[in-house]
Amino acid sequence: MKRRDTHTGTGKAAYGSHKGETRDPTQTCPSKALRELRRTLRGGSIMDETVAEYIRRTVLKIPRDEIKMMLEKWGFLSEAQLQTLNCHQIKDSISQEVVQLCEVTITFKEYEDNAIWIRIAWGTPYKKPNQYKPSYVVYHSQTPYVFISASVLKSNMPLLCQALIVASNYHDIREMELRSHSLNSLKDIVFKRYSQNFQTYTTPLQGENVEPENADTRIVQENRSEKERIHRLNQGDFGSGPQPKLEFAQYRLETMFKSDPKMDVLDKKEPFRCLVKFSSPHLLESLKSLAPAVGLFQQAGSVELD
Amino acid sequence: MAEEAQEDGATRTLPSLRRLSRALPFGRTHGRLGISSSGRPIVSALCSQESADPQQTALLLRKAWTLYSVTPLYRFRRARLRDYARLLSAFIAAEKQKGLAVEVGVELDIKVALSSLADLRGSELDQAALLVQLSSRSRASSRNSEDKLVWSGWFCSVFGDDLSENLPEDFTSLPLFLSHGAESYTSLVGSWFQKTFDCCFRRLAISPQNLSWMVAMWAGCKLDRAAAAVELVFSVPRLSQPLDISYAIHPEDAKALWDTVQKTPGEITQEEVDVFMDCLYAHFHRHFKIHLSAAKLVKVSTAVASAHCDGIVKILQSQYLPGMLMLLTELAISQIQ
Repeated sequence: MKRRDTHTGTGKAAYGSHKGETRDPTQTCPSKALRELRRTLRGGSIMDETVAEYIRRTVLKIPRDEIKMMLEKWGFLSEAQLQTLNCHQIKDSISQEVVQLCEVTITFKEYEDNAIWIRIAWGTPYKKPNQYKPSYVVYHSQTPYVFISASVLKSNMPLLCQALIVASNYHDIREMELRSHSLNSLKDIVFKRYSQNFQTYTTPLQGENVEPENADTRIVQENRSEKERIHRLNQGDFGSGPQPKLEFAQYRLETMFKSDPKMDVLDKKEPFRCLVKFSSPHLLESLKSLAPAVGLFQQAGSVELD
Repeated sequence: MAEEAQEDGATRTLPSLRRLSRALPFGRTHGRLGISSSGRPIVSALCSQESADPQQTALLLRKAWTLYSVTPLYRFRRARLRDYARLLSAFIAAEKQKGLAVEVGVELDIKVALSSLADLRGSELDQAALLVQLSSRSRASSRNSEDKLVWSGWFCSVFGDDLSENLPEDFTSLPLFLSHGAESYTSLVGSWFQKTFDCCFRRLAISPQNLSWMVAMWAGCKLDRAAAAVELVFSVPRLSQPLDISYAIHPEDAKALWDTVQKTPGEITQEEVDVFMDCLYAHFHRHFKIHLSAAKLVKVSTAVASAHCDGIVKILQSQYLPGMLMLLTELAISQIQ
């Protein structure tokens, strides 16, 4: 099982090999797994004061006529519960009622694309769970991937991973080292949903604006050809859709150093160890604009040598 | 970088840091811009030097220093350091009165100390370094509370005789200035020196070529067990989205590579630096198909020292301090001339 953080940080190129899973992921029963998870993390259904307060305050912030709609959207109350809620009371009472209806500390919500969102508030034996700094874990039950928000403290991470492994009945969890602020982008990359054509199919540059910077028609033609070529190459590597928004990628190289024989340099039999990090507000866009094409993401998972 | 013409393939050796030959330590062009691409021997500057007063050097290590070049000081008298300290102190207080306050909030008295660092120089021809320290003592606190160092800056010259040898008498040559602390203090101190000694401060940038020199030199230094990686940081300009690339190499591997490139111990030539860099670029290109040589090298960092193209350096080990200062003095002088 791999997991990813959803904020900037390090990223490994390799999508990696799966560690031996002990059961077929397609047979997951989400709700059973979630119950396990909840039990493992010792989230109870005991409401405590800070949580109650948090919910109460949150509800109070909503204008009264929007409360019901908001609660529906949040979706942590069932239809029946929503029905029972009397929205004509004073807001104070409404919020009290909402609090009573809620279960806290760990909540689960299922979404359509088989994504289960888990909201976790962390506490210690001495401190109540902090509702204002929750972490989120997104798990797609049919996949061996989990996305974890960066708000999980380093100290809590091993515990969370352990819980996830136990609950999901996997055998190991490994960080994939790809981070972004855009969860959808990470999902696109992991689930390989972005369009990446491998054929070099030429699409003519119709309607592309090539400003004639120069009256000399030959130069304009050169520019146009060059732009077409770059466009073609980029199409080949990146596809024509919008790029997933990735901010950071990290690669660990342990390959042999090979040099031009006439340079008479290092010829060690051991790997040349390097760590390369790319970062940008929108990494794939910036790589795309590096002309000519970068064969970077074509080699998903492996680093090829000539 | 690799395309630069070699003016003269021969290298000149600088026998030891103490005995200065009249030849320029680095082949230097006469132009204002750039350092010559011919052989630049570096030598014993890199080997262990009996360090100067370790207490003094401790002040200088492991801090990020911002670099400036300074034109020679007119009518600077070593004997008057106490007077200068008093005058500078008064100047700072006056500027604060005027409302050009440095630190908002707490009322601070700034105490100025000027001292000479006698050992920090290349040869007898160099002026001893001059250290300026600003300390504060909060007015609110008790009388015997300690002063807190808030800013330090020092002028130095290490083998800077290229500049000093032709100077008229009343001038003192200390072309390299390093500061650490709030920018506001730097500009106060700088303004005072400029007014008092009719000199001119300019930020000293470090070109990618010089950064390459530094990383090649330092990659070859003797390593201790827990050495940090040799890291090069590039920035790719003019893209739709800015891109930064960090390329870090295991220090043992970088040193192994440099050791096969460097032909004569104690000497480094431009060619060798180019080969070293080309190897690193080629290795990167094989994997990523990106030409790092087309990107801008903005920072280099090793276990010995690190340097940023905006003119910020950090020296981590005392035995490399003289060598680093020698290189920086040369850069400062190039900028002045």
